[in-house]
Amino acid sequence: MLKNYLKIAWRNLIKNKTFSIANIFGLTCAFAVAILLSMTALFELSFDQFHENKDNTYQLYLTSRTPRGAEVSTSNPVPLAAALKDEVPGIKRIARSLSEDALISYQEKDLSLDAEFVDADFFKMFTYPIVAGNAENPLPNKNSVSITEETAQKTFGTLDALGETIQVKIGGEEHPFTVAAILEDTPANSSMDFDIVIPFENHPEYESNKDQWNSNFFPVYLQLEEGMTTEQFEQNTRSFVNLHYEGSIESAKRDGATPDVNGRFKQLHLLPITDMHFVNYREGRAETARTFPYLILGVAFVIIFIVCANFINMNIALSENRLKEIGMRKTLGAVKKQLFFQFWMESVIVFLLSIGLGLVVSNLLIDPFKTLFNTKATFAEVTQPAIIGTFTLIIFGITLIAGGYPALLMSKLSTLRALKGKLDLGKNRLRNGLIVLQFVIAIMLISGTLVLHGQLDFMRNKDLGYNKEQVVSIPLNGRKDSYDVLELLRDELLKNPNILSVSGADNNLGLGKDGSLSSSAMGFDYKGKGIVTNALTVDYDYAETLDIELKSGRMFDREFSTDSLSLVINESMAEQFGEEDPLSIRIPMDDSVTYSVIGVIKDYNFQDVKKEVEPLTLFMNKNWDLYYAYVKIAPQNPASSFDAIKSAWEKVEPQAEFLGSFLDENVDRTFRREKNMATIITGGSILGIILSCLGLFAISMLVVAQRTKEIGVRKVVGASVSSVTLLLTKDFLKLVGLAFIIATPIAWYFLNEWLQDYASHVSLSPLFFIGSGLMVGLIAFVTIGSRTAKAASANPVNSLRTE
Amino acid sequence: MLLELNNIFKWVTTGGQRIFLLKDINLQVEQGEFISVMGPSGSGKSTLLNVIGMLDTFDEGEYNFMDESVYSLKEKHRANLYKQYIGFVFQSYHLLDDLTVQENLEMPLIYKKVKGSERKAMVADMLDRFNIVGKKDLFPAQLSGGQQQLVGVARALIANPKLILADEPTGNLNSKQGEEIMELFKQLNEEGVTIIQVTHSEKNAEYGSRIINLLDGRMV
Repeated sequence: MLKNYLKIAWRNLIKNKTFSIANIFGLTCAFAVAILLSMTALFELSFDQFHENKDNTYQLYLTSRTPRGAEVSTSNPVPLAAALKDEVPGIKRIARSLSEDALISYQEKDLSLDAEFVDADFFKMFTYPIVAGNAENPLPNKNSVSITEETAQKTFGTLDALGETIQVKIGGEEHPFTVAAILEDTPANSSMDFDIVIPFENHPEYESNKDQWNSNFFPVYLQLEEGMTTEQFEQNTRSFVNLHYEGSIESAKRDGATPDVNGRFKQLHLLPITDMHFVNYREGRAETARTFPYLILGVAFVIIFIVCANFINMNIALSENRLKEIGMRKTLGAVKKQLFFQFWMESVIVFLLSIGLGLVVSNLLIDPFKTLFNTKATFAEVTQPAIIGTFTLIIFGITLIAGGYPALLMSKLSTLRALKGKLDLGKNRLRNGLIVLQFVIAIMLISGTLVLHGQLDFMRNKDLGYNKEQVVSIPLNGRKDSYDVLELLRDELLKNPNILSVSGADNNLGLGKDGSLSSSAMGFDYKGKGIVTNALTVDYDYAETLDIELKSGRMFDREFSTDSLSLVINESMAEQFGEEDPLSIRIPMDDSVTYSVIGVIKDYNFQDVKKEVEPLTLFMNKNWDLYYAYVKIAPQNPASSFDAIKSAWEKVEPQAEFLGSFLDENVDRTFRREKNMATIITGGSILGIILSCLGLFAISMLVVAQRTKEIGVRKVVGASVSSVTLLLTKDFLKLVGLAFIIATPIAWYFLNEWLQDYASHVSLSPLFFIGSGLMVGLIAFVTIGSRTAKAASANPVNSLRTE
Repeated sequence: MLLELNNIFKWVTTGGQRIFLLKDINLQVEQGEFISVMGPSGSGKSTLLNVIGMLDTFDEGEYNFMDESVYSLKEKHRANLYKQYIGFVFQSYHLLDDLTVQENLEMPLIYKKVKGSERKAMVADMLDRFNIVGKKDLFPAQLSGGQQQLVGVARALIANPKLILADEPTGNLNSKQGEEIMELFKQLNEEGVTIIQVTHSEKNAEYGSRIINLLDGRMV
């Protein structure tokens, strides 16, 4: 029986070549894309899930109430970890962990590595397997380090590196360390990513901050004891916080901050480590939003839905040609169950074929896909039995619905009706419903695409307050003192007429090739008022190099010897002081020193473009290191100027890699998430509209075939080609119109929600929606019209003869 | 007694009015009979045949097939009944276009769950008996009308039915082909198969042992 079914199924596929190809092509595309997308999403969702202790390991964060509302900090002071473990019950393990770049050298080699300064418990809490060496404790003493396999290979050229000694540059000095263990490379789905692990006590800031409770600069992770809940623990920490943060609680009270519901000004909270990759801090609490992976899954699902709708529609329409077969089989003794099974199996064959092809295609496309979407996801990441099992189940479900519905419809037909070849499908309500849904999806995706690109363009073209086209920023990753490097660069470059000026700062603008982002903030009291500001240390010529407009006063100048006690502030900061003349502001800090404001600069986006511009204070102090050089070039010949900068760098810092990049590239890099989203939505909407139209095309073909006689009769009585075309196309365009009406409010709602995340964003003009509606309408019209026009212009004699 | 119809009525309701398709039909068919049903177009011949073949239902009356009341049977049992005892022959042959002659013949056996080897043997027998061995791999479209109907009859016969229902089996054939099919029916009847045929032609009706005339759904 099975053989007979297979034979029939195969011959039917061959007979309806166009539809079979359309179906298999559509399904293959959809499955390939859905596989790739689900892979990406599952990869995102798998972040930090590999830690064996993930269920009771947390990152610590502190919520502080300030007059401006609640603020969150994940940075902690050095003495906190030990004190917390001693004074608060319920902690099984606790570890500090500070991520920083470190320069190491071995023989002639210099390498800039991603270092993690950690406490010993780090490896007991987190699952980073040890390949060789001290498995019990990979950091047995203060002078030992652990490195990953990749680092071992890079540094020593072999994995057999245990016991070797390397020099690590810490605080300007080189210290020898022994390699105590080799670690597996950190997995791609790990939030913490490092090349070398160094005992925490070696950090250059450690000694000076050993007992400082007001200097926060690294995250703390902890593992709770069995049976301890986070709520319980958070309550337990209250007296601890009252004791150790007394000073800042007092000043918060004085400045008029409102306490939280529990009457507290400061509260420690725990964030599960599995949420770290998805966290957003809003109004003092961690919010985990897995929007991005679920959005991707949503797009995958929607694409599958579109092709399944096509499949159902085409199958039902095509079944008209098989009514005789159904009737005949029934008279020969087939019962409902057998017929259902037969037709369902035909669908299963098509689906299996498409899924197989989809797997092949997705395998072929995986490399370009990974580059395009900037993901490290691999098949290995998602081919776990549980996921494969779920996947199989889902596919089975889809086949059951998409293949089963038409099969059910056909098997239910009464024998005589089937033999007479009459199919009454209740006014095609299901077909129309599916088409409308398809177009709702298409319109939503397209308007999403338009708005996303609009927002990206908006952010790209926004005036950020500084010159991003003509400035190159270079991470200072070499061994020399940063001020010396800047001087040397000036000497090298200012001879060149195309280089206009050179400056430096301790933070980058945008996201550079070194991939590091940092922020530095400080607070102090001014005339009885707490003031919080971002801090930036700069070199001479900073405003000039970046074309930042000076509002009043002056910038730091070589002519003035006292400028290390001068401050330049931005407009937001000046506003915070509330002084009529900001240049008169004197700020006493650290008892003995008093800073004075010498200039006010216009607000510029020194942080993420998505954020509002916050208060900022510029310092100028040779004792504080700079981390980035800025070079401004003339508008002519940027490429050759860039090369000149590069060769100057290689002369100044021959052993350090040149990571310079234009600021507009840097700014662009901060949109990576938006860009990924835009690519996925754009891809999804293009595919969605193509597939919807494929279905529409097939359906219009069948409708035209069914109405051949009607078309003939109409033409015989004098209808024109255009009126017949319109008649046939109208029904479908109505559906598109209905889809537009349904899709627009939904799309508007979600896009509006999304845009709220941006401090400044494009206005959600109706043009976006009208544009996408028109686009879909036009595409649909061309798709159907091409078919109907052909039918309408056929000679009616021919179409009537077929009866 | 093979089958028995008692006071069978069938109607459709249009515009609040009942239009009778079959009116008070009483019919007994014995094993081995050859019955011709005659009557003008729209007199209910095909409907009667469909009711006997259980393809169609009736609204009132009693129908016993081999002492089983058809009315009360579930679809599955009904299907079991007719796939075991009844073979159909249609005016327009109704062969499956996608299957070869051999596969068409095989199909009823598949639904009867006959084993593969046995099936092959029965199909080979039938091909032999109807002299169409050479055509076994052809598709219906490659055959003449007469040949197609031959296959149709062969298919009806393959499951060894007790009753063959033929709805104008010669209607689409020329007179020579028609004659051949009728001769075949006659021969089959002599071998013991009960046949009920619907026909327009007096000549073909003569092949039957009994003629039933229908007019407006009534036996006359």
